[in-house]
Amino acid sequence: MPSFEESDPAPISPSPAPELPSSQVHPATVSPTKHQKENDQDDDDFIPENKTKDDDGDQKMIFDDDNEEPELKSSTSEIEKPSIIQQSKPSSSKSSSSTTTTTSTKYKPSSADMKHYYERYLPFKSIFLWLNHSPAPQTDFTMREFAFEYKSGAYHRYNSFSNVSEFKSTVLKAEPTRFEIGAVYPIEPKLRKQVSKNVMKPQMKEFVLDIDLTDYDDIRTCCSGTSICEKCWKFINIAIEIIDVALKNDFGFKHLLWVFSGRRGCHCWISDYRARVMDENIRRSVIEYLDVLHVKGSKKSNGGVASLNMFRKPYHPHIERSLEVLKDQFIDVVIREQDPWRHEDRYEDLARAVPDYRLTNALMKYWKTTTDRSSADKWLDVDKYYQNLKIQSFDLQDWKKEMIFKTMYPRLDVEVSRQMIHLLKSPFCVHPGTGNVCIPFDPSKEKFNPLTAPNLQTLFNEDEEHVENTSLQPSIDLFNKYVRELMKEELSKKRTRDESKENLEF
Amino acid sequence: MFRKVKRKTDGRRNFDDRDTSFDTSVGAGGFHDDLAQYPHRLSFYKLPPMEEVTLEEFETWAIDRLKVLLEIESCSARSMTFKETEQVMEKMLAKYLPLNVPSKESSSLYQERKKDHYSHFILRLAFCRSEELRRRFVKAETTLFKLRYNMLSMTEQRNFVNSLDLPWVAATEEEKTKFESQLYACSYSSVRALLRAGSASGVKITDDQVRQYLKHQTFYKLPFEYVPDLLAMRTAFLHQGYVYVGQFQQSSLIISEYSKFLKEQLDLTVRGLPGLDEDDRLVPVLNNLSKGYISAEYNDGGNSSNGEDSEVNSENVNTFLSDMPLCMQRLMEGVSVNHHLKYGGRQQLAFFLKGIGLSADEALKFWRNQFTKSMSAERFNKDYKYNFRHNYGLEGGRINYKPWDCKTIMNKPNPTKSEYHGCPYRDLHRDELLVMLGKLGLEGNRSTDDVLDLSNRGEYQAACTKVFELVNRDNIDYALKTKSGNVDQSSIVHPNQYFDRSRYLKKLREGTVGKGAESQSGESQSIATQ
Ligand code: SF4
Ligand SMILES: [Zn+2]
Repeated sequence: MPSFEESDPAPISPSPAPELPSSQVHPATVSPTKHQKENDQDDDDFIPENKTKDDDGDQKMIFDDDNEEPELKSSTSEIEKPSIIQQSKPSSSKSSSSTTTTTSTKYKPSSADMKHYYERYLPFKSIFLWLNHSPAPQTDFTMREFAFEYKSGAYHRYNSFSNVSEFKSTVLKAEPTRFEIGAVYPIEPKLRKQVSKNVMKPQMKEFVLDIDLTDYDDIRTCCSGTSICEKCWKFINIAIEIIDVALKNDFGFKHLLWVFSGRRGCHCWISDYRARVMDENIRRSVIEYLDVLHVKGSKKSNGGVASLNMFRKPYHPHIERSLEVLKDQFIDVVIREQDPWRHEDRYEDLARAVPDYRLTNALMKYWKTTTDRSSADKWLDVDKYYQNLKIQSFDLQDWKKEMIFKTMYPRLDVEVSRQMIHLLKSPFCVHPGTGNVCIPFDPSKEKFNPLTAPNLQTLFNEDEEHVENTSLQPSIDLFNKYVRELMKEELSKKRTRDESKENLEF
Repeated sequence: MFRKVKRKTDGRRNFDDRDTSFDTSVGAGGFHDDLAQYPHRLSFYKLPPMEEVTLEEFETWAIDRLKVLLEIESCSARSMTFKETEQVMEKMLAKYLPLNVPSKESSSLYQERKKDHYSHFILRLAFCRSEELRRRFVKAETTLFKLRYNMLSMTEQRNFVNSLDLPWVAATEEEKTKFESQLYACSYSSVRALLRAGSASGVKITDDQVRQYLKHQTFYKLPFEYVPDLLAMRTAFLHQGYVYVGQFQQSSLIISEYSKFLKEQLDLTVRGLPGLDEDDRLVPVLNNLSKGYISAEYNDGGNSSNGEDSEVNSENVNTFLSDMPLCMQRLMEGVSVNHHLKYGGRQQLAFFLKGIGLSADEALKFWRNQFTKSMSAERFNKDYKYNFRHNYGLEGGRINYKPWDCKTIMNKPNPTKSEYHGCPYRDLHRDELLVMLGKLGLEGNRSTDDVLDLSNRGEYQAACTKVFELVNRDNIDYALKTKSGNVDQSSIVHPNQYFDRSRYLKKLREGTVGKGAESQSGESQSIATQ
């Protein structure tokens, strides 16, 4: 027995401090403690995981605060002082970009261009309304984190603004190459030094998705790395189609904003209240529901291919529906246009994907000797050998469906979606490597074409002064319409939320 | 919510001298009134206890629950199936945390539920202090919850689920028809498994049977936030933000809901903790609890020190080697090789021998025989005799020392090179351990890998239990087959428990288990039976 001598029957109660009970389990009720995770990660030093491989492939310098040393140096010796106020600009010829890309080296926006763009083109007010959900500033905006990225590669987190004019003037002064949007915190992020670290836990954030063509390099043959063309962009459009319907029909989300990431992918922002208050655990389940292949992220399976029991029959309705979309486009998009298995270095992928040893060997042998059979031929060869060898170890039609799935199903970045502290580039920012504007688009209207997307250079040619006269204006209109709808619902929902809160209190 | 509780707490302070009125309320109002606080056998433990308990109740209730939780952990460390765990835990629960069926005429129902309620909250306080403890606590409590949920009758389960206040909405017949194929696709494999489990082996379940089964199932709609697991694994149908959950999935859902709830509550408890330190009487108790400081009360039956009818004496003690756990075998080996043992080893072995029935006189004989092979009788009398007599309470403080349990053994300083005390699963290099296991007849098979694996992971007692099971496999099988006695499969927590269990099984086999043997077998009284 534990050494406890006292048999004093003095009454004591095991009930602890009075704040212990809380039977609220509904996720839609946000209390300041609800979303606090035991994430002991040092937020200040946090480098978003995809930062190191972001669109430019640059390394970023992370500044904890104005007066501290950078923790990670980029290849340039010049370190830009990230202070927002006294900004000394580095000459643009000393660009830090160490990786040269194979495409779109033609135009890179200069500092003067960016300044002009921020001043005249970028719809600050719309972005403010989108994040604030109301015309008058509220904590959804004022306690929201913004991060600035500079030409030097410096990355400055925890900016926050009390209203739209401060937002705009700060960006104008700081002249970041782009800015990113993070979560809403319990206090204004710029004041974080005044509170203990435990307080700085994200409370709310849009649910976001990130799809990038570099994750398709094993199947693309037209391009690789940062370059894209109309052929491979089809994968992105397919991804959008599949994810869009799942988010709307299955999850019931209404306020989806698809945004071009400026080079080779796109983002999706979901602004429904219900999505914004999801904790990381729920975000993880949502993204795992969608991320059927889990090509990326923590649960990496060997070779990046999902295990077969994902496709256990009967298929889950989401799988079944996605398959319908993919089936129709497989022949065109994959077999004809990409022709991924034509050459020796890749046809092994197809042969080895066959779950029967005999069949794999036979195919390998045949393709080795009979060169230059197209992917279409090879796709049929599998049928032929399956019949000839009288294979019975697996069902050919099921296997074909799985292959279609594995080559074309959306490849998602799980961590970007899961982590609440993760930041994502704002819509209407300009991609520093291409000059493309990250415009929102509506996939239900027409398929997005990144090659004709508004570019800073073309915009300025269209009209140097008035954004209304440029090809950017339709995107701004689309965005404004989206924001209006969001705000309308937000205001009515908020009324009912407040009412029910009051009911509880009386 | 918050305010309400606060008011209650304040109220309680005002009635601090109320303990006597509490007694009368039991007498007058009968236990029905009190039972109204605990309408179900099972609980989510949403409200903290409000009444006062004595310090003694506080401690013993907590320790009883801790024993249950530790046993659950040990079952999972030995990777037992849920069925096996159920078997082991049934006895433990009946003994330490009974929650009897309401129909059973019993005035102790209230007391049982109160103990369950309070002990849960006390352990929350003890276990909320570190991430690791919280994780362990939630895991063990969740298993406990699952065990108990399965013990409920259908009606009790239904009533309990309804009491939970989850936003269930039953899907309408129209919805069921509209989404028939989707629901079928999502439920197919679980329903098939269910049907297969319920029918004779080898029977094929047809798709039609699955359809038929689903026709009579109620489906509930639940916001997807409530079922992150079903969502992530795509094992349920999701439509417009609602997951359709079949009745057959309900229990797993409630269990995960409980686990989630408890985790949140523990996080809140940590933050409420500073206020608690004021009551310094509680702190040492809580500290002891959270250190896992629990001595399994080893009941030596009170027969060891007078030992007249004991079968163990200084001459034959060596013949019981195979009944001893590895730590004791190692010490016995140490004495017979060196004719000496250092202090730590001497203590550990001497108390153990006392526990198996070696009387004070016989013990002295045993040690003298051994030690005088390396030293003179005078030296033994001068330097060691006192020590051994002291162990039996015959000298000095005259305390009747109890045999050490594994925890005590492991809390002592680790053995140095020339020392033999401690726990071999923790202290020995894996090669040395393999040699020792080899001597037990366990060699180069998968079982020894399991043992090494458990020791590597720090699950020493689980390793020891595993070895016990391997060494005594025949006798255990015999006992199970003939149903001739109680086969206790709980984890080894005490060397004497190991010994007694081994003796008990042998006697069952020999058919000599009788009255004498039962009382000899202290453990079968205190731990195995009931
Ligand atoms: S687990 Fe206990 S009984 Fe087994 S060897 Fe270790 S100390 Fe001895
Ligand atoms: Zn391309």
